Parts: sequence; structure tokens; C-alpha cells
Amino acid sequence: MTCEVGPAGESAMRLIFSAPPKPALTHKLLAIQESAQQYFSETLIDSVIGYTTLTLFFTPFKFERDRAEAWLLAQADNPMPETPEPGAGTVQPVILPVLYHPSVAPDLEWLADITGLSVDDVIRLHCEQTYFAYATGFAPGFCYLGNLDSRLMTPRLDTPRAKVPAGAVAIADSQTAIYPCDSPGGWRLIGACPERLFTLDSTPPSRLSVGDFVRFEPISEADFHSMSRRS
Amino acid sequence: MNTLQIQRAGIASSVQDSGRFGMLQMGIPPAGAMDWCALISGQRQLGHLQDEAAIEVAYGDFVASPIEDCHIVVTGAPVSLSIDHKPVSHASVHAVAGGQTLSMKTAAEGVYSYLHISGGIAVTPQFASRSTSPREGVGGLNGGYLKNGDVLPIGEASSSGGRADPQLITVRTRETLWLRFVPGFQYAELSETAIKSLLQSDYVVTPKANRMGVTLTGATIETGIHTLLSEATCHGAIQIPPDGKPIILLNDRQTVGGYPKPGAVIRSDCLRLAQARPGQKVRFAVCSPEEADRIQWLEQHYLETRLR
Repeated sequence: MTCEVGPAGESAMRLIFSAPPKPALTHKLLAIQESAQQYFSETLIDSVIGYTTLTLFFTPFKFERDRAEAWLLAQADNPMPETPEPGAGTVQPVILPVLYHPSVAPDLEWLADITGLSVDDVIRLHCEQTYFAYATGFAPGFCYLGNLDSRLMTPRLDTPRAKVPAGAVAIADSQTAIYPCDSPGGWRLIGACPERLFTLDSTPPSRLSVGDFVRFEPISEADFHSMSRRS
Repeated sequence: MNTLQIQRAGIASSVQDSGRFGMLQMGIPPAGAMDWCALISGQRQLGHLQDEAAIEVAYGDFVASPIEDCHIVVTGAPVSLSIDHKPVSHASVHAVAGGQTLSMKTAAEGVYSYLHISGGIAVTPQFASRSTSPREGVGGLNGGYLKNGDVLPIGEASSSGGRADPQLITVRTRETLWLRFVPGFQYAELSETAIKSLLQSDYVVTPKANRMGVTLTGATIETGIHTLLSEATCHGAIQIPPDGKPIILLNDRQTVGGYPKPGAVIRSDCLRLAQARPGQKVRFAVCSPEEADRIQWLEQHYLETRLR
């Protein structure tokens, strides 16, 4: 698998693999991230995993670019770790309840129309898949989950909505996600999750992290409202 | 405990220190003072050694009263400063008596000014920083921009201040501001035409500029890259959305993004860009990582010598 290491500005380095994203690659990136936290403990201030990238942020001045580059290239040569299967042993998927109903999902019926599926089929296809968390970011607690069933793939809105409410379950291309807080957003909204995905004073604050497996479970309107009140 | 009663908060005033680190993976941007030289300058002038927070005021429009005696200094973009309606020099430390009214008004240059109060703004730190990240609702006073009527806690003033004024920046609209950038990310995948547009055209700072980033206008950059997997952004990243108008990502940026980026503007030039007003002409120039280190090193040295 080929890879490249290059600068991300003056005090960060980015490792990118030229391979399609898959859980095994994410696990490799997670393993390199963990070793980097040990190896560069003095100088590493932050690190971010993307679909096929790991970016390491260093303290300016204390960062030896050549050393970081050589180290990253050596790590990239290590064999891929085994990826645990969802449901096997200790790896349990995170189950998130979702209300699929037009009252909370402005694009649900549109999606059924455009795909030629029934609303029930859309819900079934969205819930059947076990998703993998490839990256977090965009907003606190926002987690990019893949891969969506190809029958549900749609482009984003041309003009993003100014406000998507917290909990909105959304899809775009081959990805799905839950908006953890009110924010602008261009993804299609097909449901709502009553659970909080990001709580500032929890440890960790985010319910989901890179490498997690996630499944959605349909719930009734009554359950949605009682769960919303609790969270 | 001393507090500051805010009568007029202005359009985008917030509590800022030098920002938070280690939270990018969580999706929380670094935040922190847009003009960190101005922040450090004020901290040193008041003898603040613990990264005490100040109030960042955009386009200076701010009126407030401390309830107890304190010292203040304003750094960053020059403002017309008055104490109880009496104009005073904007560039020096002033003693303010409890109940007096401080008033800052925008002047001709720059965007961000910093009001420092002896003891610092003592809001509770979140993730090891008092900086406000308004979009995420993190830090500052209740996670947001300041509002009329807000009351800010002020810390205990400890030591006496210095007299240094190490501010590095002056921004004059008539001169071209050079944005030196370290090539990276998708630089090698951009077409020759795209690189030519980027390196050989004049760009202009638009009014679409805030703590998240500064949008430029000028020659459209056709990256030819249509799909990109989301990856980390960085401070100064030159992000090119489908409309071809570059956005320079700054302190409150999205931590992850899927738009092509030919590189990242060096910190020192980002600082000048943050203080630039709409209409400011800018040009891009390539800078090697080693050159960027050298520039940063020299500026740090300059700051430290001036601060002694």
C-alpha cells in the first residue's frame, strides 16, 4: 500500500495512504496515532484521523521535521493490524435509537420517491447496515459513518440548510451521521436520534469515536418523546 | 471579587487566551486570540504570566465598568479609548477606579483589539483554556460571544507589569499583504492553471471574514478535484470550495474538511491577514517549511527581546 508524508502547514505532518478507506486502514491509523503519542510525547500536541490520513500537530520549534517524516514512513510500512469484526468478542456496536418519521425527517419521503423505494424499505436499509466510524470532526461529536447501502446514496443539498437540529440523522454520498448539535448542514435528513451524542462535561464528551461500529434501531414516536425528555 | 459589567458588548467580542490544544480529534477547534502577539503584549504589560484571558473585541465597540480598582491596557488594532468620557492614550497601561466607564471605539486600522484587565478574565476554563469557541459553545462566558449586560469575573491581580510593547503587526490597506504558504495536501494534484491562478493573481479580502476564516476574492481557482475524503485541516490552510474562491482557515476553523487545499499560510502572515480589513490586497507566495521555521524563529526572538 503506497503512502506519502508531507507538511500540513509549518508545524504539522500528514500521512496519507492511497487506498480506499476501510476499517483495517483506520485501525492502522489508530495504531500509528497511539505510537506517535508515546514516541513524540514531548512535542506532539494534537492528532487527527481522516478517512485515509493521520495528521500530527507538533509544538512549533520543538518539532524535528525529518525525524517525524522518517518515523511516519517507517510506521506506514508495518503490516496492517487485524480488524475485529463487529459483534465478535468485546467489540459491540453502539446501538442508537432513531425515529424515522416525516415530522423529524424532512427528506425521508423525498428519499423514498427519488430511490423508488418505500419509506419502510428506506428505514430497513438504513438499519440493516453495521456502520464504521471513519473520522470525527466538522463539529464536536460529529462522526462520519460508512458505508451506506448503495441504494440510499444521494448527493448533498445544493444549498445547505442554515440550521439542522441536534440529533438529526443524515446521509450524504456513501456516508451517514448524526448532527450532535444545532448547526448548518447540507446532508439529507432521514430521522432523529433522541440521545445526546456530545456532552461537554462527560468523559469522554463524545459518544462515538473513530473505530467504533454503529447500528441504528427504529423507535416509535412515543419512545422518541420519552427518551428525548430523559436525555 | 472584581467583576466587569458590560454595557455595550459590540458585534463579536469574546473572552480569549492563547487557545486550547489536544481537542482537534474531538472536533473542537483551538480558538484563542486571533492576534496572539497583541494578546502576549497585553499579558506582559500587566505582569500576567499564566496566559490570563483578555476580551477580544472586533471593530472596537465596547463599553464596560469594573466594580473595583484595576489596571487595564488595550492592545492589537488601535482604538479610541476613553475613561469616563475622557480620551486617553490607547497604547499604555491605565489605572481605572471602580465604577469608572471604559469605552473603546474602532479606529482606522486593523480588526481585533484586546482589553486586558489586571488579574485577567477569570471565567472557568474548559478543556484547559478560557478561550471562547462560540460555534461549539465551549469556554468563555457560557460558551458564547459577550452580550450587553454580561458580568465577567476578574481574577486577583498579582504582580506589577512591564512596559514592553512587542506588537509585531501593522496592516496598511494600500500595500499588498504577502501570504507565504507551505505547499502540501493536494498541491501536487492541482493543475498547472490552478497553481498559476493561485501564485500569479491578486486576491482581495472580502467582508466574509471571521474567527473561522477569511474568504478571498480574485481569479477563480479550478482545482479539478471533485471528490476528496475528509481529512484534518490546519491553521492557515488554503481551502478551495467549488466556487474557486480561497478561504484561509483560522482559529475557529472546522477541524476536518473535504475541500482541496494547496497548502497552509504561515502563522506570521495569518496574523496579519486576521487583522486585515475588507479590500486588503493579498498575494500568495510559496515558502519552504524550513523558511517558515526560520521566519517563526526570528519573530519569536524579536518578541522575546522586546519583552525583556
